[in-house]
Amino acid sequence: MVPLTPDIIINPISALGRYSQLLFHAFGAVTEVASYRKNLWRQMVKVGLDSLPIVMLAATFSGAVSTVQTSYQLVSPLIPRSIVGAIITSSMILELGAVVTGFILAGRVGARIAAELGTMRVTEQIDALETMGLNSVGYLIVPRVVAGVVMFPVLYIAACFCGIGGGMLIGELGGFVPLEEFIYGAREYFQPFDPIFGIIKSLVFGFLITSISCFKGYYTQGGAEGVGRATTQAAVASCVFLLLADLILAVLLL
Amino acid sequence: MKYSNEIKVGLTIIVAAVIFILGIRYFEDLPLFDSTYDLVAEFDDAGGLIGGNIVRVNGVSVGSVTSVYISETTGKVIVEFHVDPKIPVTEGSHATVGGFDALGVVRMDLTLGPSSSPRIPEGGLVATSATSDLMADMSARAPAMLDSVGRVLEELDGVLVEANTILSTPESDLRRTLAAARGSMSQVEALLAGERDRMVRILANADSLTADLDTAMGEDGEALTSLMGQMETMLATLNEDLERFQATNEQIDTLLRKLNEGEGTLGMLINDPSMYHRMDSTLNGLNALIADFQDNPGRYLKEMKIVDLF
Amino acid sequence: MIRVSHVNKSFGDKHVLKDVSVDIPEGETIAIIGRSGSGKSVLMKHLIGLMQPDSGSVTVDGIDINAITYAELRRVRRHFGVLFQGGALFDSMNAFENVAFPLRTFTEMTEADISRVVKECLAMVELEDVGAKLPSELSGGMQKRVALARAVALQPRYIIYDEPTSGLDPETSNTIDELIRNLADRLNVTSIVVTHDMHSVLNIADRAAFIYEGRMHWTGTIEALHHSDDQILKAFVTANEYKIGPS
Repeated sequence: MVPLTPDIIINPISALGRYSQLLFHAFGAVTEVASYRKNLWRQMVKVGLDSLPIVMLAATFSGAVSTVQTSYQLVSPLIPRSIVGAIITSSMILELGAVVTGFILAGRVGARIAAELGTMRVTEQIDALETMGLNSVGYLIVPRVVAGVVMFPVLYIAACFCGIGGGMLIGELGGFVPLEEFIYGAREYFQPFDPIFGIIKSLVFGFLITSISCFKGYYTQGGAEGVGRATTQAAVASCVFLLLADLILAVLLL
Repeated sequence: MKYSNEIKVGLTIIVAAVIFILGIRYFEDLPLFDSTYDLVAEFDDAGGLIGGNIVRVNGVSVGSVTSVYISETTGKVIVEFHVDPKIPVTEGSHATVGGFDALGVVRMDLTLGPSSSPRIPEGGLVATSATSDLMADMSARAPAMLDSVGRVLEELDGVLVEANTILSTPESDLRRTLAAARGSMSQVEALLAGERDRMVRILANADSLTADLDTAMGEDGEALTSLMGQMETMLATLNEDLERFQATNEQIDTLLRKLNEGEGTLGMLINDPSMYHRMDSTLNGLNALIADFQDNPGRYLKEMKIVDLF
Repeated sequence: MIRVSHVNKSFGDKHVLKDVSVDIPEGETIAIIGRSGSGKSVLMKHLIGLMQPDSGSVTVDGIDINAITYAELRRVRRHFGVLFQGGALFDSMNAFENVAFPLRTFTEMTEADISRVVKECLAMVELEDVGAKLPSELSGGMQKRVALARAVALQPRYIIYDEPTSGLDPETSNTIDELIRNLADRLNVTSIVVTHDMHSVLNIADRAAFIYEGRMHWTGTIEALHHSDDQILKAFVTANEYKIGPS
């Protein structure tokens, strides 16, 4: 029998359906705090604190590199050097802070979540949880997603802090932009909504990365190879949907 | 000591929240821990001012604009801003919007009132004065420009005076011609005292000659006036600085020089050799006539009609 | 007791269970036997609601587990202990924590009580001294024994064994078989053993249910199994005996 609709249409739709079902299930389990409270703190440490060093490192360097490159590009005597400060600060706050953190988390946290849940699935640990009478979605997925949503903004703030700081530092020490001019430019163009937008973005990113990775991991099939596939898919899908969400948020909110 | 996950996570979140709030205050130019000094100003035209723009006092950045919106009741632009609480914004201070909108670097400049006056209270209204951007600058300079246009006109007036002077200078050929004519006339008058009536008519004829000359002068005066008009238009359109007028003055000098050298209609009129020669020959003829008259008055008294013909 | 009646289950075009019915009486040890891919693992998953039948019903103590809410199903599941094929120990926890996990999650017991119960359970599987070890540090047989200790920690009324002896050497298989036998005697639980290892079946089971190509082909006591002249069943039993050899 020839299917009426090709797989290329059916598969994404059914994936979306299962994804929403899983999330619906997870939201139903949010109230069972007792079952996942301990797990939540552990996930917050794993998603949040353990990612802090790499996020701070990446953000510092991207801030510093942007400063050097922007100074290199802005050679016109008509444009004050303080513009560099404005560009670095607003691009860190609006875009780089959240997106750099997002990509790191997609690779680091997303892949880890998918591998963890995938392994639990193929070794029947998820079934074991279920047969014990535990809500495996509540126990495994809720703490990971909540940890992502809570800790991502924290990482975003750390990224902005380090990125702008890195930019200021290299600008001053490397002689590209004096600190005062950097700060002057940053203040001149600062919009109070920008960091709020960044926080909204990081909340969405945190939710997307953790929930997509949980989904990919939770429904892993096919042994060790399946775990590998789920891990890759989780990281790739997280990045793709992160960029998509980035665009949608920018269109909706800016 | 090993801290529990709860403490580690909690601490991190608190530190992040503090950095977030302090960071926003820092980039908004708000003092990190003190309260702020909020003020309001009302403008007719915000000139592109937006929230986040810098507020300066004597060129020093002291705060920033919080928000800019149109008042629903008055339709004016309400600008809320905050400055360092240490800045004495006293009664009599006023705010202007400055900077260059096209480059996006708009700011608000605050001119402080006398330090003896009481401070404007928190949230109080700061007086404003009109926006001073490039166009406003130009409008402000317009009277001075009109002044210089006036000066040019005066100078043109001078040109006319000079033209008159040329006509009245003894060295002038025309003047000499006229002097010669007058000498001839007096001789004619002296000689024809008895024949006053006829002489009067001769003089009247000479008068009509000068009247013709006057008319000619008048026509060229109009040409000069239109030239002046063109220059005026040029000045008004170009809105140039005084250097430009200097050049115009030089042109006028050239014009005058050319006038002296006999170029141009007026110059031609004044300096036209053929006309001079014509008049000269006329006067020579007149002289010959008078000499002849002296020799044979009787003939001329009979043949007075010849003179009439002249 | 557990009653499976007229259960059908398909995965896509593959009809895995065809009108399967079986009764599992209280206190007995029943072996569900069949070849790999015959559908016995799928049937096992239906027993605890990990899979829902396309038609038919599964009742546990008179409750249709597919007609109740998820919360109620989870309450029913607490009567079950399941020993999964690979043990399914939580690899982030050590052996002690694995056994303690259901106690900590579902009981109000103090840590001291939990510690005592965990030690008892580990003693039951003869692994008193591996508590601090992670699953990755244990051999396959030890992992299964710890998993068994975890399965019985909440004193379930039903224990399901999924291929308890597969992948183990004959000696360890015998140890596991003995443990299953002992648990059934001591705790008076109902045991369901899903296996293709006839040697194990003959050692531990009271009854057997033979699934062939998705159908419940034969059910009866071990005694009856020996005397059955069903050709397909005989082929399966003798193939096993030939492979393993006489015990």
